[in-house]
Amino acid sequence: MKEDYNILIAGVGGQGNLVCGRVLSEAARLKDLHPVIGETFGASRRGGTVLTHLRISNHERGPLIPKGRANLLLGMEPLEALRASIEYAGKQTVAVVSTARVETPESLSDAAEYPPTDKIIEAISSICGEVIAIDPVEALEKSGGLRLLNSYLLGAISVLKGVPISKDDIRESIRRTLQNPDLNLATFDLGVTDALKLSR
Amino acid sequence: MDDDTSPRLMSGNEAMARGALEAGVGFCTSYPGTPSTGIAEYIMSRAESIGIHAEWSVNEKVALEAAAGASWAGIPSLCSMKSLGLNVASDSLLSMNLSESGDGGFVIIVGDDPRGHSTSTEQDSRFYAKAALLPLLEPSGYQEAKDSVAYAFDISRKYKVPVIIRSTTRLSHSRGLVNLCPIDIHDFPRPLKMKENLFNVPDPHLARRDLRIKIRKISEAFDKSTFNRLRVKKEAELLTIASGICQKYAEEAMEEIGVENTGTLGLVTTHPLPKKVVAKAIKRAQNILFLEETDPFVEDAIRSFSTELISVSCKFHGKQNDLVPAHGEINTDLAIQGAQKALGLKFSRLDEKEEKIRESARKLLIRRPLTFCAGCTHRNVYWAVRKVKQRLGGKLFVAGDIGCYSLGVFYDEAISTLFSMGSGIGIASGLGQLHSFGLDSRIAAVAGDSTFLHACIPALINAKHKNANVTLMILDNSTTAMTGFQKHPGEEDQPEGQRMVSIEKIVQAIDPDFYAVGDAADLSSTIALIHSTVRKDGLNVLLFKSICRLEEQRMGESYTEQGRVYIDSDACHGESCKICAAQFGCVAIGWHDETARPIIYDHVCVRCGACVIVCPHDAIKQG
Repeated sequence: MKEDYNILIAGVGGQGNLVCGRVLSEAARLKDLHPVIGETFGASRRGGTVLTHLRISNHERGPLIPKGRANLLLGMEPLEALRASIEYAGKQTVAVVSTARVETPESLSDAAEYPPTDKIIEAISSICGEVIAIDPVEALEKSGGLRLLNSYLLGAISVLKGVPISKDDIRESIRRTLQNPDLNLATFDLGVTDALKLSR
Repeated sequence: MDDDTSPRLMSGNEAMARGALEAGVGFCTSYPGTPSTGIAEYIMSRAESIGIHAEWSVNEKVALEAAAGASWAGIPSLCSMKSLGLNVASDSLLSMNLSESGDGGFVIIVGDDPRGHSTSTEQDSRFYAKAALLPLLEPSGYQEAKDSVAYAFDISRKYKVPVIIRSTTRLSHSRGLVNLCPIDIHDFPRPLKMKENLFNVPDPHLARRDLRIKIRKISEAFDKSTFNRLRVKKEAELLTIASGICQKYAEEAMEEIGVENTGTLGLVTTHPLPKKVVAKAIKRAQNILFLEETDPFVEDAIRSFSTELISVSCKFHGKQNDLVPAHGEINTDLAIQGAQKALGLKFSRLDEKEEKIRESARKLLIRRPLTFCAGCTHRNVYWAVRKVKQRLGGKLFVAGDIGCYSLGVFYDEAISTLFSMGSGIGIASGLGQLHSFGLDSRIAAVAGDSTFLHACIPALINAKHKNANVTLMILDNSTTAMTGFQKHPGEEDQPEGQRMVSIEKIVQAIDPDFYAVGDAADLSSTIALIHSTVRKDGLNVLLFKSICRLEEQRMGESYTEQGRVYIDSDACHGESCKICAAQFGCVAIGWHDETARPIIYDHVCVRCGACVIVCPHDAIKQG
């Protein structure tokens, strides 16, 4: 590949952010590419912001995506997608964002107001070249709940053009990497279907 | 064994651990701490099959001493820890350094956490290498992380000194491709032969003199090391000198700034400096930009060394002249900015319009502080502390400590201090003696089980001995939860070959004036027990049986047998109360704006029923 491809996964601890990153980095390995994946631990299970930086290149890069240089933003939560896009997105960025909100301790206690989802998507759209806002709730109720959000979103991004890893690579990586691959692959396919509907 | 040596993605931690195994390490000690935990975890997962020893020691000082002992018996030894762990171990490090390390070699890996992602402070541990006069390596990538460990053992064996390797969070916790070599089944020379003269007296100053001579020789060895890479044409306009992961940022920054005549010096051996390599680099550049994590360690050393060189005309830039920040993490953007400032170029990533768009987007953001897991019993204890504080008119001071329960600082400031392992009861033992000075607040401290064993025992003895009025609450969830469930001596269930050391018996041996065991899963009794105890004078210890829900789930616990938690909408007082969602703050409780009622997220809820007690209107039900 000529140019690096940077994927940023933004979400909340406990959403399966790191698993997403692992699936995509192993998928890049299947293509003989040189992924470097930077994970933020510690907060990952305690409800804080979690970012996974995945840089795909033909040589070893530093683990952090430079500011504004994400090619693909996988937003597992709207507020976190916005927070990440302000720092790491630009006109070249395609953002796929789940609209399922995860309240913060302060929004629950009325110490802060969680902004309306449409305002968040609007703000992300003002920064990114393209935004696909996707509501996972209906599909995930069918498949097995919000625990499967990561597989669903992996399905959603697999239909995008210009991503150096293909749908088949991601499927194969899920098969190799995840426990219970059948349920995850079925949920992946729901993500594919919903994303195709939206991008038409 | 482990025959598959095909290249694979490994974290910096895994790569360093693998490097140690390939280099023939035989004795590995550690105490868990982010970002270093994964090193010992990787080694432990393979230790038995290779036939080597790996342990979670009770604290880092003991870990260092144990590994040093094994090294003196001729076994290649490794000790890994986080930055603050090296502080704990430093008392021994700064005296053992003067006695030669053993024939097998001794390597210490320290994981620093720039920005303090998972640390109560930000610290550059490299100054320990300087203080202890020990060689220091800072690998820049995953393969190099692995290879540097074998090199560290070589240096240690050749010069008979411990060697320190410094990693940082970004290297330790990110993954890249690594080529592997086979690991041989280890065979150590028998009988073991102990080294002699393992003390520095009566002439420690002469031992220090000898170590200084040795470190000069190591500088010459570092000059020949292929780990240091100088890439520069003649007379570069700008040359970066970078160490650790910053080498990657430097390379990318030099590609980005669009200046043709630049160069890079990547330093892995940063103490002692490879002086010839550095001198060669300095002479070929007009401007030098230092890039390194945290303090200007390499920068200061090279600025100082440059005064020994004649006709140095280049300008130095870095943390000392504020072109690169000396706090927080370095990244490619900061490297680009530093480079552009050094060359007097204008820097702007975004035009005005783009900047404005981001500014208005930023206004929408709200914070997302960390919080306890659903059903975590630490939340129960802090809810109880909050209630007791209210009853005592706020006159209860709780000193905090290091672990998951540190999150108490974000939970209505349930704890008022947060520093180092064991500092809670230490601070409390001082405050608890101030009642004769007119202090009118009750004094308490919290500590987890692993933290208690690590560092609380001397302070607890001090509190008893000095007659302090203190209540220590030990939140015993039987695991080192914060760092990922490592075993400690206080757990009933021990791996083969290890024996339990009872926290209860230790406490009773110290003989507090009042001792009770509480059940942190039972909110009502927890409130009552804390309320009655903290008002008693003397030394009180409450051992709260606690539950880590993550550990429980990891062990296969499912909550389907307990009844579902649900909201009785008619009984609920809605917005006018909202205690469950707004104050108790369990992540399994949300709020539904349209109905103005809480909702229970069943996929998150562990059905512990704590919120049932919290609701003053009996509107949260279970069954």
